[in-house]
Amino acid sequence: MTKKITLAAVGVVAALALTSCSAGGDDGPSTELNVYAWADEIPQSVFDAFTEETGITVNVDNFDSNETMISKLAAGNSGYDIVEPSQYAVQQLVGQELLEPLDHERIEGFDGIAEKFVNPSYDPDNQYSVPWVWGTTGLLYNETCTGGEEITSWKSLFDDKWSGKINMLDNMLASYIAGLQVNGYDADSTDETEIAEATDSLIEQKPLLAGYNSTNYGELVANGDVCISEAWGGTSTAKIVAENDDVHYVLPEEGGSLWVDGLSIAKGAPHTDAAYQFINFLLRPEIAAMATNDGGLASANADAQEHVDDQGLLANAAVYASDEQVANADFIVDPGSAMSFYQDGWTRVKAS
Amino acid sequence: MDRLVNSIARAVFVFLYIPIIAVIVYSFNAAGTNTRFEGLTLQWYVDLFQDAALMQTLRTSAIVAVITATVAAIIGILFSLGISRYRGRGKTALIGMIALPLIVPEIVLGVALLSVFSATKLPLGIPTLVLGHLIVSLPLATLVIMSSAAMLDPSLPEAATDLGCNPWQTFTRVYLPLLRPAVVAAWLLSFTTSFSNIVMSTFLSGVGSTTLPLKIYSSLKTGLTPSINALGALLILLTLVIVLAVGVTQMRRILVESRG
Repeated sequence: MTKKITLAAVGVVAALALTSCSAGGDDGPSTELNVYAWADEIPQSVFDAFTEETGITVNVDNFDSNETMISKLAAGNSGYDIVEPSQYAVQQLVGQELLEPLDHERIEGFDGIAEKFVNPSYDPDNQYSVPWVWGTTGLLYNETCTGGEEITSWKSLFDDKWSGKINMLDNMLASYIAGLQVNGYDADSTDETEIAEATDSLIEQKPLLAGYNSTNYGELVANGDVCISEAWGGTSTAKIVAENDDVHYVLPEEGGSLWVDGLSIAKGAPHTDAAYQFINFLLRPEIAAMATNDGGLASANADAQEHVDDQGLLANAAVYASDEQVANADFIVDPGSAMSFYQDGWTRVKAS
Repeated sequence: MDRLVNSIARAVFVFLYIPIIAVIVYSFNAAGTNTRFEGLTLQWYVDLFQDAALMQTLRTSAIVAVITATVAAIIGILFSLGISRYRGRGKTALIGMIALPLIVPEIVLGVALLSVFSATKLPLGIPTLVLGHLIVSLPLATLVIMSSAAMLDPSLPEAATDLGCNPWQTFTRVYLPLLRPAVVAAWLLSFTTSFSNIVMSTFLSGVGSTTLPLKIYSSLKTGLTPSINALGALLILLTLVIVLAVGVTQMRRILVESRG
């Protein structure tokens, strides 16, 4: 009798394996679209509007880091059509031949994209990605906590005046932005000695830190537990700035850095047609503005700005940093083989 | 000494429960961030139920956890009953094999499974999630049921046959009732293991099958919404209800038995 039960159990497992929903690989008009994106960067309202207009059902999944997304695509057979990599991830995906080159003949409305995101260093001629949202890495500080002193430079993060009141982002490349730029180098350096110097600065800085925190640093600054923190611009930082009069977000005079998350088509996408339809839909200015209105992020589409409901956000540096503020900012690009210099250095920083 | 132990125990309890209480309190916080408290609101609960994407991930997690827990409990029962009667060689090896995933790092299993599934062209989704979660919850379920099965009197099947039970009746009327508390415990343990799993899910989720922990974890980049606190509070409430329900039935059984 037990044998029968064992068989039944085996049957259940096998049935599970077989009843998996198959993502159809047909050409022509698609009724489905599979999107793999950062959580909430493409607001739900955008997907709803797209489905309503085209009748295409959208399956949305989220990843927590570019690395997770890349590993999923690299394993092959992922079934995704649209992915949303950050700038350096575009380079890595292209290097591993995991993206379909974009056919710009099939794309409408690309003219609206702000100049600084057209033909960017990480993706010549936007061959693989259409910029969607962007942001900056800069400084968040609490004026009450610094005694009214304005913070304008990465140097403050390395100043023992603020010992025990400094927070750094717990992220290798983000930490090196400050480490490199404070020494006068570009944030996307691939030079071994420059990176080594930045490593030394970060090691020297460590005793001054309250900690490495990249999740709720905004709250720490708002509470005054930390006076100055390296920070990512975007929804949560903008909210902290808007709610606390004494908290400010600035791009350091050394430059800071820019990130941009764009739309790409995955290699072997099962619904290419729907993917182009989706990209074109997101390029419409009024839809692109929803990234700001519903998602709290800066749209890469310059034409979208007039459709932003809260025009105050266009002046809030934590969302829309002005052109002059980002003039010196570097795109963080894929360091390529210099990656090992960063990784070795970061291990030394973390172990010190 | 006793007082020291006593105060350490208290401190541990405070340490364990303060975050849970904080989640519940903040789920009613009118302010949009966790930095300060600005009066009470039920807004986050309303938002939570209107967040279709979040609800979808909750559904995925629940489906995966229920299937995983049920299959793990079934295999656990079969394995335990089998191994308790098995007298041949390699018994320790068999037990070792089923417990192995406990000591193999989950990330290794996740990567390995991802390559197996992509090599076999099995599309990632709920089935692959279930298979992955089974690997991590099966040892727990099996070990719990096995320890209970080992305490059963080996002459039970003989006695049952003597009283006219066929093997199926022996299983349903003798073994299952005796193993029931262990099976319930194993089911719940597997359910929570699967429900909260993040490492396996990262690798094995596919199109349309983002689980709740993955969704929460990936929200960290754009910032957590207070709705997550509301969801946390509801899950804690649900857990309490289940624990109480199971506890009450167990207590009732014990009371009935002691009276009878």
